[in-house]
Amino acid sequence: MYMTITSFQFLVFVTTALMIYYLVPKAWQWVVLLMSSLFFYHYAASTRTILFLIISTATAYGSTIWMDRIREKKGESAKSVTALTVTALSVNIILWFIFKGYEFWAAAIKGIEHFHSTPLSGLLDVELVAALGMGYYTLQVMGYILDCSWGMIKPQKNPLKLFLFVCFFPQLTTGPISQYSQLETLYQKHNIRYENITHGAQRILWGFLKKLVLAERAGIIVSGITGNLEHYNGYYAWIAILLYPIQMYADFSGCMDIVIGVAEMFDIRLAENFRNPFFSKSSQEFWQRWHITLGAWARNYVLYPLMKSKAMIGFGKFTKKKFGKKMGKFVATSVSMFFLWMVIGIWHGGFRFIVGVSLWYWIILMMGELMSPLFGKITTKLGFKTDSFSWHLFQSSRTYVIYAIGITFFSEGVKKGLLLLRTATGVISKEISNPWIFFDGSILNLGVTWGDINLIIIAVILLIIVGVLREKYGYARNWMDKQSFIFRWSVWIVLFLLVLIYGKYGPEYHAEDFIYQRF
Amino acid sequence: MTREEVYERLNQVFRDVFDDETIEVHDETTADDIDGWDSFEHINLMVSVEDEFSFKIPMGKVVEMKNVGEMVDIILKLGE
Repeated sequence: MYMTITSFQFLVFVTTALMIYYLVPKAWQWVVLLMSSLFFYHYAASTRTILFLIISTATAYGSTIWMDRIREKKGESAKSVTALTVTALSVNIILWFIFKGYEFWAAAIKGIEHFHSTPLSGLLDVELVAALGMGYYTLQVMGYILDCSWGMIKPQKNPLKLFLFVCFFPQLTTGPISQYSQLETLYQKHNIRYENITHGAQRILWGFLKKLVLAERAGIIVSGITGNLEHYNGYYAWIAILLYPIQMYADFSGCMDIVIGVAEMFDIRLAENFRNPFFSKSSQEFWQRWHITLGAWARNYVLYPLMKSKAMIGFGKFTKKKFGKKMGKFVATSVSMFFLWMVIGIWHGGFRFIVGVSLWYWIILMMGELMSPLFGKITTKLGFKTDSFSWHLFQSSRTYVIYAIGITFFSEGVKKGLLLLRTATGVISKEISNPWIFFDGSILNLGVTWGDINLIIIAVILLIIVGVLREKYGYARNWMDKQSFIFRWSVWIVLFLLVLIYGKYGPEYHAEDFIYQRF
Repeated sequence: MTREEVYERLNQVFRDVFDDETIEVHDETTADDIDGWDSFEHINLMVSVEDEFSFKIPMGKVVEMKNVGEMVDIILKLGE
């Protein structure tokens, strides 16, 4: 049996776990969570890989307890604490690199092979175990070790409790990446509360709608086009490029809704990973609203220490002397940002993300930094109303297209991404012009019906409505809770029926794995 | 070092980092009050504060401080 979080088995599992959780004595609740997490991992991944979870937890536990002892004996600034931190982090990074950094070391081995034969080549044939969720819990563990090392938190003395922090099942395979201080509620006593159950269930339903109704349908169109670019050219390429971000968002944020909703039913609050990213006015803002917990992790544990390091401070002083205050700061910033984006790229485990997203956004953001004073002057000169709706719409559309282009490389690889973009620009240069495909039903050859297309449109409109409510009320539910009983229930029933009737699921249908489950 | 002395030097640091001679910070000033004080500039600010007062602010403190008042508390404590 293979249990995904959109499967019927998962819902049965969560319901059972919830009943046990609220029935046992409250001091045991965390034990129920730990057992449930191991049960889930046993069915979602291969059982053997629990070993990696244990190794990761052991390094975190051992190193932080030891750190505490050293501090007690030698005081705050003992050098051995740093050595211990570096060792514990290295073990986790190496383990991650072996299993998730395959593309990098395979490329390195092939590079060596190119010049002379090497016994390392044998490694390329080794079949790696799928270490599900390793990208996520490795980051959590590293964050925990650093938090302890920086004295921000006291180490957890109970290794099993720490183990629960590493493997808490809703977030184990796809994030959000939690900080230890946010998850200490795992060990507290929890009363069953009506709002937690209803809000959690509503959120799960919304996630199912995003994933099973929208993402799966959009996916059929996108992969239909990118799978046969010789046939589907011209405007088709634009459909694929511009639809993929919606598929990606519905897939990833839908997954997060389910994860956060499930945790909420257990009275555990997880960090939000998305905040209406497509409402962003700039690419910089976009990354503060998209995959928020990864961005926060990279900021706290990569960017900050890097910028505060002796080498970087020295470099900053050097550039200031060389290029003047403004330009010097810009150069230093660019270098730090480059490192940040490389780390995020490497975490995504392949060259396509590094090229398509990391480098692309690094250039876009740095250009933005450099040009924004100039653009500001131009818009004021031309007299644009920069606080008007139309201007915001223009800014959001621009941000969307920038994302769409970058993510094309990520999903299709560099070569195919370029081909797709070339096909798309063929429309502009009038090489291929086929605007009739929007009207004559050609799209239906991709394996969707008009009904599917209408559903995509309806789902996107729903997403926009919820997005607007969220901007205005913090959460769409804050608005919903104030509506009349009949209205609320009508909405939930309609959404439920939409998922039940139009969701792509069931024994004969295998829903695609969540895109972000790979990491 | 008195609180007033810290503020005097701190104002200079803020003006220099955010390129704005009119900045005047007080206990309740937060990142929302100063144009350009984002997570990135926060570290630049911290590095400049370290430079000005000649000590190292531990990473934990850098992330935790919520307003300028807390920043001053930390500076006073580290300067002892």
